[in-house]
Amino acid sequence: MKLLFFLKRILTKYWLRSRLFYRLTLLILFVISAALVIVPVLSQPVTLRLLMTAPDVPPWNRVMVKAFEAQNPGIRLQIVEGPNATNLIEDLYTSAFLLGDSPYDLINMDVIWTPKFAAAGWLVDLTDEFSQEELSVFSAPDVEGGKYQDRLYRLPIRSDAGMLYYRRDLLEQAGYQPPKTFEELVKISKDLQEKGLVRWGYLWQGRQYEGAAAMFVEVLKGFGAFWVNPDTLEVGLDQPAAIQAVKFLQSTIQEGISPPGVTTYMEEDTRRIFQSGEAAFLRSWPYVWPLANAEGSPIQGKVGIMPMIGAEGNTGGSCLGGWGLGISKTTKHPKEALKAIRFLTSQAPQKEFVLEAGYVPSRKSLFTDPVIVAKYSYYPQFFQVVQKAVLRPPIAQYAQASDILQRYLSAALTNQMTAEQAMQNAARETRLLLEAGRTRRG
Amino acid sequence: MTATKVNTIQARYRRTGLYLLIPAIAVLLLVFAYPIGRSFWLSLFDQNLGTGLEPVFAGLNNYDRIIGDGRFWQSFWVTTRFTVITVVLELILGMGIALVLNQAFRGRNVVRTIAILPWALPTALIALGWTWIFNDQYGIANDILLRLGLIQEGINWLGDPLTATVALIVADVWKTTPFISILLLAGLQSIPGDLYEAYALEGASAWQSFYRITLPLLMPQVIIAILFRFAQAFGIFDLVQVMTGGGPGGATEVVSLYIYATAMRYLDFGYSAAMVVVTFLLLIVAVVICTVLISRYRSRTRE
Repeated sequence: MKLLFFLKRILTKYWLRSRLFYRLTLLILFVISAALVIVPVLSQPVTLRLLMTAPDVPPWNRVMVKAFEAQNPGIRLQIVEGPNATNLIEDLYTSAFLLGDSPYDLINMDVIWTPKFAAAGWLVDLTDEFSQEELSVFSAPDVEGGKYQDRLYRLPIRSDAGMLYYRRDLLEQAGYQPPKTFEELVKISKDLQEKGLVRWGYLWQGRQYEGAAAMFVEVLKGFGAFWVNPDTLEVGLDQPAAIQAVKFLQSTIQEGISPPGVTTYMEEDTRRIFQSGEAAFLRSWPYVWPLANAEGSPIQGKVGIMPMIGAEGNTGGSCLGGWGLGISKTTKHPKEALKAIRFLTSQAPQKEFVLEAGYVPSRKSLFTDPVIVAKYSYYPQFFQVVQKAVLRPPIAQYAQASDILQRYLSAALTNQMTAEQAMQNAARETRLLLEAGRTRRG
Repeated sequence: MTATKVNTIQARYRRTGLYLLIPAIAVLLLVFAYPIGRSFWLSLFDQNLGTGLEPVFAGLNNYDRIIGDGRFWQSFWVTTRFTVITVVLELILGMGIALVLNQAFRGRNVVRTIAILPWALPTALIALGWTWIFNDQYGIANDILLRLGLIQEGINWLGDPLTATVALIVADVWKTTPFISILLLAGLQSIPGDLYEAYALEGASAWQSFYRITLPLLMPQVIIAILFRFAQAFGIFDLVQVMTGGGPGGATEVVSLYIYATAMRYLDFGYSAAMVVVTFLLLIVAVVICTVLISRYRSRTRE
């Protein structure tokens, strides 16, 4: 009892008054208060944001976000709904990056944005994060589409490629095999039209917009011509083969194979005409297939698809589209973002996603996966198309080059200029444009 | 002795005046001279995706590009056409409205307030409204024309180069005529009424008194209105962006839309700066020519 009293006296008299006690108390209080702030912040889940067109968000939330958050409790994936036009999404990403502090950690990128965003230095270089083996499971053109100057910036999550749709029933009726060249396509079209089997021969997208550039890339490839060589920045639009390509498109209108309105059509205009049974051939994207074969469609079960063909003596090629994921350079969570990309592009989530939303996968094995084929019997055929896909030129100033081409192509198709004039002008302006960017490369 | 003293007082006054002007001049330099100078400086560089967004000196290369750029000259022509047509129409209509509003009638103040409303509303909102009016499926414009039996099927107003231009002009005239009429109304009210009375006593008709008194005395306001509207119409962005986005096929693309696309979509900052400078210089040339013509006209009428 006495001892206790003695201790208490020491405590009160010396210890409580000592400097050490004072400092210790301060330190403890400081640590506690700091912990009260830091612990909740640390245990708060990391949030990764990305922006997407609004209609894409529900399937993403149902499949991708759910699966990812279930496996990664510390990371949240927040998908911001944007306007339903991809060019507006591109503009929103662009202004976010120009302002410096982008609110987005991941970027869902169309194949044609990749060079621009990479050249502007807004994307994290992913080249060293993924080995050759890891990349080899994806379809090769899709991986290529994520590269800029041989560095990888984007991992493909969804494929897309232009393809040729044909009316199997009409071709069989008239005793034709599917065409292998443009010349055969023209011949078959004319014959079917003369026999009164179908009103129009061939439908394509000729309005002045990005879709026309994609369509034209295929025709250029079909004539053995090129637009811009990304390595040498050489412009091939005024070469004879490219002018031939324009003349071919003009001739389809002049000879009555394509309707005159084709110069104002976008994808949906051409699909409606094709689906109502008024045309024998259609150049479009994979989304047409399920719609054309839907219950109640006049051409249900009468359609065939094949990769894009070329002119006599040339192999054709389909234009590559598709989406992929990249990481913003300003993200505060690069590790988590990388983890998210690995997960979202992996086999199981993508399989579920394809089954849910009907998108074309980027992983090769999914095209022939039994469960997927059971639901979408035509995917093995899509695989052939995607494998033959050609890229639009992966140059930094693609948007500008594409606008130049669209203007002059449209002028030639609507007969405001001859094919020669239009392509020479387009080539000259494209050269001036690329010249202005070449200074640094020396 | 006294003379020098007066001079020094005058000089001192002048100096004080100059000191008082310094803040205003500084603000002017900051908000006008600096951006213009900076645009000019930037226009001498290539700063685009090809250079990794770093400025690289390029001399007059950007100006060389403009000369060969068909799209720039097309948009320049589109803008000039739009500006001239809208300013002329607005001036004529605005004059008419101002003359009416200058008359004494019941409820004049209410009408004056209502007349300014289109000008007071935000352009983007109005543009959206006009987009619906000119919609090819549900638009009022087509509905009225169909009911009147003037057309057999709906016109795709915003889908054709000519009709899209017409639609834009209608929308802009509707929106900015009130501005001109209010400006002219202010001028009209400063003309003393006895001038008209005296002229009427001499047997002048209404048309003569408009031509001989109203128009010459209103000239300063007309010139101000023209200059204001000219500069504004040439820089038009919001109305076109919302209604057509420059389409169809670039037929309604005005200069500011192209410059915006070059900077924000193509990230070609040097080139867009060069286009700003060229547009700026061409505008100044146009204004100078206008002023010279007007002052010549004035000195001739005085003689």
